[in-house]
Amino acid sequence: MILNGIITGLIMGGILSLPVLGVAVIYGITGIPNFAIGVIGVFGGFLTWYFLSFNMGIAILVGVVFCFAIGYIMQRILLTPISEKGGDSTLFFIVTVSLGFVFEGLTRAIFPRPSISLALPRIGTINIAGVTVEGFKIFALLFALGTLVIIRLSEEHTEIGKSWQATSQNLKLAKLIGIKTNRVFSIASGIGCALACVGAIFWGSLYNLNLMTGWDLGFLGFIIAVVGGIGNIWGGIISALIMGMVMSFSGYLLGGMWQSVILYFIVILVLIVAPKGILGSERSL
Amino acid sequence: MKGRYEKIGTILILLLPSLFVFKGGYLQEVTGYVYLFLIQGYVAWFLFFKSGQPFFGYSVTMAIGAYATIVLTEMFQWPLFVSIFIGAVLATAIAVIMFLSTSRARGFYVSMASFLLAILFPKLIEALQPITGGRSGLYFSGITALVGYKALYLLVIFLTTAIVAFFFWIMGTKTGKVLTLISENDRLTQAVGINTRRYKILAYSIGGLISGFGGALYVNYTGFISSVDIEVFTTLYIFFIPLIGGSKVFYGPVLGALFVILIPELLVPVERYLRIFFGLIFILVIVLLPEGLAPNIQKLLRKINLKRA
Repeated sequence: MILNGIITGLIMGGILSLPVLGVAVIYGITGIPNFAIGVIGVFGGFLTWYFLSFNMGIAILVGVVFCFAIGYIMQRILLTPISEKGGDSTLFFIVTVSLGFVFEGLTRAIFPRPSISLALPRIGTINIAGVTVEGFKIFALLFALGTLVIIRLSEEHTEIGKSWQATSQNLKLAKLIGIKTNRVFSIASGIGCALACVGAIFWGSLYNLNLMTGWDLGFLGFIIAVVGGIGNIWGGIISALIMGMVMSFSGYLLGGMWQSVILYFIVILVLIVAPKGILGSERSL
Repeated sequence: MKGRYEKIGTILILLLPSLFVFKGGYLQEVTGYVYLFLIQGYVAWFLFFKSGQPFFGYSVTMAIGAYATIVLTEMFQWPLFVSIFIGAVLATAIAVIMFLSTSRARGFYVSMASFLLAILFPKLIEALQPITGGRSGLYFSGITALVGYKALYLLVIFLTTAIVAFFFWIMGTKTGKVLTLISENDRLTQAVGINTRRYKILAYSIGGLISGFGGALYVNYTGFISSVDIEVFTTLYIFFIPLIGGSKVFYGPVLGALFVILIPELLVPVERYLRIFFGLIFILVIVLLPEGLAPNIQKLLRKINLKRA
């Protein structure tokens, strides 16, 4: 049972780490806590579901590209202008939650069903020390970790990554040396939303997607990022994996009802005891 | 002087719907409902906007007042008014504990901790289903069984008006002025030798007590509560009441409550699009009318008057 719990926890944490990564990328670069990305990601998940009968690859691409575009536009026309006027975190909280309302409403209005399950092809099963695990779940976990490594490497070794670092560390200086910071912000927001969409697609194929999933992914993503030290990607991933374990074991031991109660309780305690998260944060990637 | 007229005008307007008691029916029912949320809206107006305390746990303090009243009365057979009192005290305790435990953190983390509590609480109510009824909820007759529905409606109107008058009064006292100062510049207030912590604890105590009492009144009026009624969106809607109406004027939350609670009632046929509508309105108000609806309606009226003259 223990091994089973660990594996389930790792997979849940792995999928959760995608929206966490989204939150961390957006907050790390723009300094804006965005609570709408989970709902936008789930909207993308519904879009993928809608086009799934045509072609799987195109369906996933449509969802992810759409979310990237929404993230980009939202940052460009709404969040960056508010930020330039000196908006604080509380204001962004209110604005992004309102944006979440809009996208939740759109999901309800456009798609015929309020709850869906994405039928992606299964890869078979893998046996780990006597426990049978679906190959697709392992793929989801590896995908999440791979995305983290790619983002981390591109930040260190590419021109775009360096301009991200510069923008997050010193905005004025970054502008002075000719970096188009507004564009950097918009791309970061787009990537964050696209990551949330991939998270939602995995979640939707392993469990199911409904109108509330977006809020759960967004808030859980945000609070897990907070526990890890918001803006700190490694901290975010580690805390996502730990939280996945907490969810898995509390589910096994106490039943599903207590799962999120315990999760949120731990997060509130962490916020009170260590407001900067378990690994601290310097608001950079 | 202008503020004084504004306060008196607001209180008189708040008393007017007591006349609906002669008509009864739907109008009376909805007005009572708006007033119960108005109590919470004024708590948010006082605590967040007037005292500058980043608190988002309104649905939690409200729910504690409501559930404590039901559980103590129905399960433990405590007298109704003792249960209401204990519920309000428990809500006060939670608000103050929330403040004390997060006082080391910066503003936004305090907001987050109380907001997360607002997410956690309905889940806790669902997990404690044998006691709280979870999603299926609990029914309660309470004060209605004692005095009847019409008398309870009048009680809601008068108590809400009294609570609003209390908030107006307290903002005019020395305590209110210190709280305004804290909301404008916390450090400066400390620097002039005022014990800001004491005043903040007082603000949380008042907010928690009234919110908890409002919750107890809510469950007496509606006769039912479930985890769905106290979802995290409830806390957001409560917060939007003073924000949409206009937090700088005394009657702002009245406009906000009419907007936030009444509009969904009117838009029932197009309920599917309600969230889109609300989300867009909230964003537009925040971006284009950061002071809320009230000051802009005032400006509009002034323009119309000028044109007439």
